[in-house]
Amino acid sequence: MLKGVHQKLEPQQTPAFFVHGASPFSRMVLFCALSITLMAVDAKLNYLSQVRQAFIGGLHPIERIADIPSEFIRDASRYFSVHNELVQENYILKQQAFEHAIKLQRLNTLQVENDHLRSLLGGVIPIHPKAILGDISHTGRDPFRNVVIINRGSRHNIQAGQAVVDAKGVLGQVTRVYPFSSEVTLITDKNLSIPVQVERNQLRAIAFGQSGNTLDIPYLPTNVDIKIGDKLVTSGIDGIYPAGLAVATVTKIDQNPKSPFAKIISTPTAKVSHHLQLLILELPESKEAQIPLPDTDNALQKPTEQEVQPNAHP
Amino acid sequence: MRTPSLLFVYGTLLVALVFQLLPWSSKGVIARPDFMLVVLLYWFFRAPHLCNIGTAWIAGALVDLATGSLLGQHALAFTLIAYLAISFQRRLVLFNAFQLLFFTFGLLTLNRLTILILKLFSGNELPNLHYFWPVITGVILLQVMQFALGKITQPTSNKAD
Repeated sequence: MLKGVHQKLEPQQTPAFFVHGASPFSRMVLFCALSITLMAVDAKLNYLSQVRQAFIGGLHPIERIADIPSEFIRDASRYFSVHNELVQENYILKQQAFEHAIKLQRLNTLQVENDHLRSLLGGVIPIHPKAILGDISHTGRDPFRNVVIINRGSRHNIQAGQAVVDAKGVLGQVTRVYPFSSEVTLITDKNLSIPVQVERNQLRAIAFGQSGNTLDIPYLPTNVDIKIGDKLVTSGIDGIYPAGLAVATVTKIDQNPKSPFAKIISTPTAKVSHHLQLLILELPESKEAQIPLPDTDNALQKPTEQEVQPNAHP
Repeated sequence: MRTPSLLFVYGTLLVALVFQLLPWSSKGVIARPDFMLVVLLYWFFRAPHLCNIGTAWIAGALVDLATGSLLGQHALAFTLIAYLAISFQRRLVLFNAFQLLFFTFGLLTLNRLTILILKLFSGNELPNLHYFWPVITGVILLQVMQFALGKITQPTSNKAD
């Protein structure tokens, strides 16, 4: 009886081609299979990165249109910002510039001296990487990941893997590059880890991103020498982040004697808010250039071997 | 208004994609409705001969490409939702406004759950309940769309008049 009603309704409701096409169930099965294949290909193989790059490049005009309202609001609020605030900001900036200028004078002489001493020791002079200035155009659209999108891409010679810093510290790393933009994974993302060093005692560790904008340092013993307020800087052993950049400050330590590891939580020093300028550091050209050759070790080991052998033979 | 053209349907879907691409502050992202899916749902209910499971799949793949998530996640979720919406489409004539509201609420929740399961499979952490805010904003958005583009449940609204 229901079927009869169904057939009577059909000609009014929908055109004939829909009724005679594939049933919704078979369509659903087909497209589900297609998307599962796509997911597997995207997750395990690298074929689709080109497709993604081309698509995002083509999407650029639409993205620009979508950015217009927020840019307008930003410009308007900047226009109406109070005169007093600007004067105050200007005063603070001038003071900072003055302080930095004094420090910079000392830095130059120290750097020359340091390079000279290193050349005397036979070590390799550290490379000071060049940097490109970029703007954060918006935060990532996937709420599961801690990423920002910046307005520099492969057209500006950005490569995946480059370190990204701001005025206060390390922000993260470039993970995907599109023609006019690129995706920066922040250090607070779960998938990013960064080799760090405690500034106070040179203790090396690896910090992992954690949800809630914090960093976690696992696998350190319970009796480890870390205090609240300790500053973590990059150790530079990975060859991506130059050594000595501020990463985070330790904010919480949970030393439970029952657990073999201490739970150390730290907050990043770099501030990630909307519309902020950042620096994209150039990748080091070759990793071997940065690692000093272990000349001193060989020099120490060889005489001992020679000393041992004559004693052993007679 | 009674029979929308194919061009109009695709136009609204393009607008939905632009809305999906709008830059949101970190707090706004929590409540951002799934624009693409809500617009798709509207057309599934009103004109399934113009917007079907294939359209849903392509729209989902576009959202995946645009947002940078794993390709196929939204495509799979949208396909499932499209199947459910279209298989119930003929009964919508009998639904009143509240029943339609609950039906869309259920569909949007199911979409969020599907994406959540897929994300968990690819190694993400379990989010908190804020994750389901877009369901509520999505239901509101569908009401706004009905107000702007015409009601889905035509016969019942005529009876009410």
